[in-house]
Amino acid sequence: MKDPLHKLCPESRRLFLERCARAAFGVSLLPLLDTPSALGAAATLDPAGAPARAGGASNAAPGFGSAKRIIVLRLDGGMSHIDTFDPKQGPSKGPKGAISTKADFQISEFLPHTAQVAAKLCVIRSMSAKVGVHQSARYLMRTGFEPRGTIKHPAIGAWAQHYLGPSHDTLPSSVCINRNSDHGNGFFPATYTPLPVIDPDAGLQHSVPYSGIKSIEERLKLVGQVDSTFQSRFPDENVGAYNDFYDTTVRLMKSKELRAFDLKMEPEALRAAYGESKFGRGCLLARRLVENGVRFVEVSSGGWDMHNNLEDAMEDTGAEFDQAFAALVSDLDSRGMLQDTLVAVTTEFGRKPDFSGSGRGHYPTVFSTVLAGAGIKRGFVYGKSDAGGGKVEEHPMSIGELHASIGWAAGLPLDKVVTSPSGRPFTVGNQSRPVHALFA
Amino acid sequence: MRLRFSTLTIALAGVLCNLSPVDAKQPTKESGAQPAPEPAPTQKPVLQKSLPTSAWHVWSDAQNHSIKAELLYLDGDHVGVQTETGQFYRLNLTKLVPADRAFAEKASRLLSGPKIPAQEAAAKIDTILEAALQKKGLSKNAPLGEDQFLRRLYIDVVGRIPTAKELGAFRDDPAPDKRAKLIDALLASEGYHSQQFNWLADMLRVKDDFGKGVKAYVYEEWLKEQIAANRHWDALVYEMMTAEGRLTSTGPVGYLLRDRGMPLDNLSNTLTTFLGANVSCAQCHDHPMADWTQRNFYEMAAFFGATEQGFSKQDLSATVKSLGLDKNKIPKKNVLAAVLAKVDTLPENKLTFPKDYKYTDAKPGEPVQPKLISWTKADATNPAFTTLGKGAPKQWREDFAVWLTHPENPRFAAAIANRLWKRYFGLAVQEPVSDLDNLSQASNPELLNHLAAEMKRVHFDLREFQRVLLNTAAYQAQANPVPKGDDGPYLFAGPLLRRMSAEQIWDSVLTLVVGPELDRYKLKRAEAMKRLDIPLDEAPPAEVKAKLEALGQKNGALKAKAKQAIAPEKTFEGGIPPNFEGLTLARASELPQPSSESHFLRNFGQSDRDIADTNSTEGGVPQILMLMNGEIQKVVTSPNSLLMKEASKRSDPTEQITLLYQSFLGRSPAPSEQEATQTMYQNGLTAKDLAWVLLNTREFLFIQ
Repeated sequence: MKDPLHKLCPESRRLFLERCARAAFGVSLLPLLDTPSALGAAATLDPAGAPARAGGASNAAPGFGSAKRIIVLRLDGGMSHIDTFDPKQGPSKGPKGAISTKADFQISEFLPHTAQVAAKLCVIRSMSAKVGVHQSARYLMRTGFEPRGTIKHPAIGAWAQHYLGPSHDTLPSSVCINRNSDHGNGFFPATYTPLPVIDPDAGLQHSVPYSGIKSIEERLKLVGQVDSTFQSRFPDENVGAYNDFYDTTVRLMKSKELRAFDLKMEPEALRAAYGESKFGRGCLLARRLVENGVRFVEVSSGGWDMHNNLEDAMEDTGAEFDQAFAALVSDLDSRGMLQDTLVAVTTEFGRKPDFSGSGRGHYPTVFSTVLAGAGIKRGFVYGKSDAGGGKVEEHPMSIGELHASIGWAAGLPLDKVVTSPSGRPFTVGNQSRPVHALFA
Repeated sequence: MRLRFSTLTIALAGVLCNLSPVDAKQPTKESGAQPAPEPAPTQKPVLQKSLPTSAWHVWSDAQNHSIKAELLYLDGDHVGVQTETGQFYRLNLTKLVPADRAFAEKASRLLSGPKIPAQEAAAKIDTILEAALQKKGLSKNAPLGEDQFLRRLYIDVVGRIPTAKELGAFRDDPAPDKRAKLIDALLASEGYHSQQFNWLADMLRVKDDFGKGVKAYVYEEWLKEQIAANRHWDALVYEMMTAEGRLTSTGPVGYLLRDRGMPLDNLSNTLTTFLGANVSCAQCHDHPMADWTQRNFYEMAAFFGATEQGFSKQDLSATVKSLGLDKNKIPKKNVLAAVLAKVDTLPENKLTFPKDYKYTDAKPGEPVQPKLISWTKADATNPAFTTLGKGAPKQWREDFAVWLTHPENPRFAAAIANRLWKRYFGLAVQEPVSDLDNLSQASNPELLNHLAAEMKRVHFDLREFQRVLLNTAAYQAQANPVPKGDDGPYLFAGPLLRRMSAEQIWDSVLTLVVGPELDRYKLKRAEAMKRLDIPLDEAPPAEVKAKLEALGQKNGALKAKAKQAIAPEKTFEGGIPPNFEGLTLARASELPQPSSESHFLRNFGQSDRDIADTNSTEGGVPQILMLMNGEIQKVVTSPNSLLMKEASKRSDPTEQITLLYQSFLGRSPAPSEQEATQTMYQNGLTAKDLAWVLLNTREFLFIQ
């Protein structure tokens, strides 16, 4: 290998050196030039009052701030576009064919429930990226940035909390279901990290206070006394984060809205509609949470890395997704919440057109994403892949553009720059532009 | 320097009576007639500087078979030897005459590199650190006090806090070198194995379940055995790369089978983990930031082009068919899948450039020839790079392993040294540990260079290397908070303040409840898995058929009995661990790998083991809820916990308070704390409440 510094373009070289500097102190907490208070929580959902025009678009561009709440369904492992939202005939065809839907496009036979709600969906068939490795691709889809060095980038929920403030006074602003939180806060404070709910049926565990002789306040006061020497010796950001988490937790324990985490309060018929799967439960919980004031909820589904036995896996994992996703969209719509709730189906990458053996390999070149609700066009297909599902034929869309579009819907100032100490700018969607054609 | 590895071949049993190694690929048969030294198909010779002639020896077993060979190394009960013709063998000393062991022990002392006491080696590191600090007008931190040293050392080395009793013993020890002695004692203890396993499990993505009923128990226990035997890192990695056989009988194949069906992902992890080569992007396209190209990646992958890792659906149905089994009666999924999970070497290279290869230097679908990546021009003359990938394809994987683990490989020693440094100092010399492509980016390049040289000096003996790090004044200095802002690279005036790992918190809490006898409980599941082993290729079809049908139900699942045999709860050695509040109170290393997502361990950041190095020490609301209101708090404050029993024996509040402080925080209460706590006792605070309070301090969670 030659000396890498020589080969890099100036931008890369700067980034390279920045990584070098940052490497010494791990994940950095950047002193942010922008502060939430400069914007205020109220300033944003109304396009007219928005502090910054995003993406250079005119004030007339539709959809800005249309999403008061966002639910992201994360299909971990890489959803095969051809076996879900972009079915193909010919050599690329998988184990099942296409079915007609209530909209004027077809989807895979693996998704019969989703076909019933297709008229409420916007399918993007021209997503394209370069990352075909799970870890990096998952990170890119979640943050809009490729992983670089030790810097951690925030998910949309943390950006929203930064610009719009907390979405509720006691409940968390971001929750992730079926998966641990894994740095969702990025370089924002640790308390912006989504609250993880690993088992939706169990909800928020351990929220009932330990009953000691002393009240919790008295005990925590004693904790503070014991800790005081340690705390004064270590003005450490991780220690500080733990202090903040204790405060947040005590507030949450006292919240009247804790029942938002309790799925037992949902009618049996509705629970059945979402399905008996963990993913189905997660989707139902997501709806309860956004209904009660949580702004941003991620629900994860594992098992999409279908290198082998794709048919079995689609009949299993795929069917769980199909039922839950369709139920979520219908449920939100029937409550009148779909118009200001954005649901996004995201994955790591697509899977190869080549259906050899019993599965498909990783394929980032073209894949599909689905958006629904909150000012997004309904019954609409954006972009197109070629006949074999191997290339983008029309309207290529990057993951950055997807993030910018979601950020636009959330009413975030896309042009606003959060600057690191070394002068590197960060924006929602990594300076990409929203795709206005998605909005009605 | 003499290069010996090029003639490495696979030895076979019975070689003692036959000095010319015969057909190297012939499978070993357990004839029983010849208690020959065990073959060494996977052990690599350590490159030695010209050996003293005294290393030549005639090795003999009880049956008077003998072989004249040169000792290369001594590794527990095994020696690595090489004959005049260059053949390499790994011999089991327990099967040889006692004089051979005596010889090996004596000669190995002559063999090893300059033997330097750990304290002396540590002092060299301190000199380098101090020079770097001085240049910036900084100085090292003050030495750590006795109590704090004890707590830090216990947590770091044996993965748990010390007990009040251990604190007392250390305080009472008058020996001036008691710190060094304790380091030695802890490095030789069971707890060290446990902690070392947890550390490796995060790095190597160790998990029980490889999917489709394939369980990795034999691999996991093999790894634990290697740790206990202090198998040197190069030998361990070499064996994982080159092992062959079924996962139900051969532990080290677990490394390659971990990514069954995804050999490219496996390679990407191998290069990143063991070398810090940041190549994962190059799997699909030329790397945007580094110089690695997709071609580089595929050429590396070609070393595994003749390796078959795992099984396909076709294997399953072909086996069913060839044995004439009734499809509905055989265990389709679990047993058969588990049995078929294996690593094999094929005669031909199967790797081709991908169908979507878009560069002009090769055509999609064209076969790939193996070629090593290199970092600098100097690598052209580096001994690690000679004569590789030129023989038959079946030899290529071994060639790769020799290069990977070669002491002169430009990154292998640096990568593991950098990782161990991070473990004890909270920050690597070069971050991230997965990207060492440009070594000049290290915060202190001289230090990293020296650490790599030390790693080579100790022949990749990780325990010895850790002994050196632990003896540095830098490690034994007071901690610093994580630096913020643009202070420039951190120069290690002392370790950084760290939160305990999930495993350390769990094992510490359990120490309060169960005590140090926690180390008794050892999870043993490999034997049960080995009983499921079916030698498909070797045994007569009728035997295979009978065995398969005995194990499986019609629906393909394991029969209840077989299932029970491998159920984790039933298979502890040393007794059944206590169970409180539904929690099995055994060390994290003796619980399912990884723990279930809702378990305490995952809540506090244990990795899901899907991605390397993802153990996290970040906080979160569920952790606080767990510490304040969850099971773990109930377990600690239960009247049956060891701590509460001990506390109740002390009727004097002063003593009780002291015991609780010492147990949780490894220190006595300050007089003002003692006084304040006593006042609260008079107002109704109980030992149980105080335990709750101490569990919820930041001081408990962090390693000062």
